[in-house]
Amino acid sequence: MNEIILETNTAVYLLSELIVWFMLLIAFIVDIRLLTRWDYGSFDPEQYELEKRAYLVMTVIIFAFAVKAPLLPYFVFTIDELSALVPGAMCGAGVISANGYGLPLLFVKIVTTLSFVLWLTINHYDLEEGDYPWFRLKSLLFIAVFTLVSVELWLDISFFTHIDTTRPTSCCSALFGLLEGENPLPFGLDTKSLLLLFYTLYLVTVGSIAISWNSMTAISSTLFLYISYYAVVYFFGTYIYQLPTHRCPFCMMQKEYFYVGYIVWGTLLGGYFGILSSLVAETLPGVGAERVKRFSALLLTIFVAVCSAYVAYYYIENGVLL
Amino acid sequence: MDGKKIVQIAITLLFIGVVAVIFISISKKEMPVTIVKGNMEHKPLAIKLDATNDTQCKMLIRTERNSAEVVSPDGRTWFFDDPGCMVLWLQEREWADRAFLWVHTIDTGRWVDARKAWYGVTDHTAMHYGFGAREKKCEGCIDFTEMRSRMLRGETLVDPKIRKKLLGV
Repeated sequence: MNEIILETNTAVYLLSELIVWFMLLIAFIVDIRLLTRWDYGSFDPEQYELEKRAYLVMTVIIFAFAVKAPLLPYFVFTIDELSALVPGAMCGAGVISANGYGLPLLFVKIVTTLSFVLWLTINHYDLEEGDYPWFRLKSLLFIAVFTLVSVELWLDISFFTHIDTTRPTSCCSALFGLLEGENPLPFGLDTKSLLLLFYTLYLVTVGSIAISWNSMTAISSTLFLYISYYAVVYFFGTYIYQLPTHRCPFCMMQKEYFYVGYIVWGTLLGGYFGILSSLVAETLPGVGAERVKRFSALLLTIFVAVCSAYVAYYYIENGVLL
Repeated sequence: MDGKKIVQIAITLLFIGVVAVIFISISKKEMPVTIVKGNMEHKPLAIKLDATNDTQCKMLIRTERNSAEVVSPDGRTWFFDDPGCMVLWLQEREWADRAFLWVHTIDTGRWVDARKAWYGVTDHTAMHYGFGAREKKCEGCIDFTEMRSRMLRGETLVDPKIRKKLLGV
């Protein structure tokens, strides 16, 4: 058996994912029945029974999310710990690129979390209405969520069972370093333009949230997420590591850097997920999600403040920038 | 004009600024070429003269004459102004044996397989190593393996002793 599977963190992680998937499988089967027979206007005993089952399904999904949400950072922690076993890997970046399943898995995990947040948002407003006006919508969305979770589980198992501990992988400096002189930034940007876009898009996103300009919020927050990834890896990250050549999105989640990566990526993704879910919710008639949007704006503000603080701290300590 | 309207105008202007920065950056992207990806046919690519950097010596490539290209198995292509630069750069690549190597010959002016080309030892080349690539065998020419060995041993015209021996100066 692959020794990676026997590693404690991996075993705990995979077992947890498997249990969550099994619970969601039961919810999925019940959900299909609910979708085909649901009629809120009916006074049949069967409808009462279905409403009870719907409540059960909802509880299972919420519980599954409560388990899966911490499993995302735990997954990152697990692959980071595995870097000690995979030759050449210095952090999670090396482990995740050890085979072809790693990066798709990380992507699917983020999309799954986003779809869970969407489901929870719609569910929240559905319950508030009393007569479940969005029941079919959220049930259909759950089918998509379950499909994603199934794909994720398959990728999870494929990823961990295909990590070869005898084959060297690349460390983060090889993966994110300067590619033989090639500019790694998008749109041909240089660092100054990247930072200009970073702060401007932050202002546009927060400003558009303040005046409830949803279309602008959707565009600017998506662009902000994209630019932020590069800004953190290629600029702010170097101040976290205090080394201009160290460019990695994973190392900052290590103990040496006080696990600050979890705050950086957590606030960025949390803020973006919140914005997106609230915007989707507001497309439903009569729904306003101002509080979620404002909380998301707060998360993005924390993200920008933490990133900027590292640069400011370095400058105050050393009197120069990297 | 109410406050919301003012914020809306400010946001619009900022967003136009964002779009402008992106477009300006894209249009300024004409930076020297150092690498081209996706050359899955592994064929030699036309070099944008005066806009392409030699990956080894970092100089701009000013002429195709005696230039060289390395295409990795995954289609990435690097450019060199001198076959000697190509040899020096290639020695640290673990996929060197699987790489596709091209040189632009000085006798026929064509791209040929660098491993099948012949090399003069006293030619005027961009980095003054002296190895001019030829498609046809010539008197005193050496093959790729010999040229590579001499490059790695430093036995080129750059070395005064070798220069004295070969050119008498």
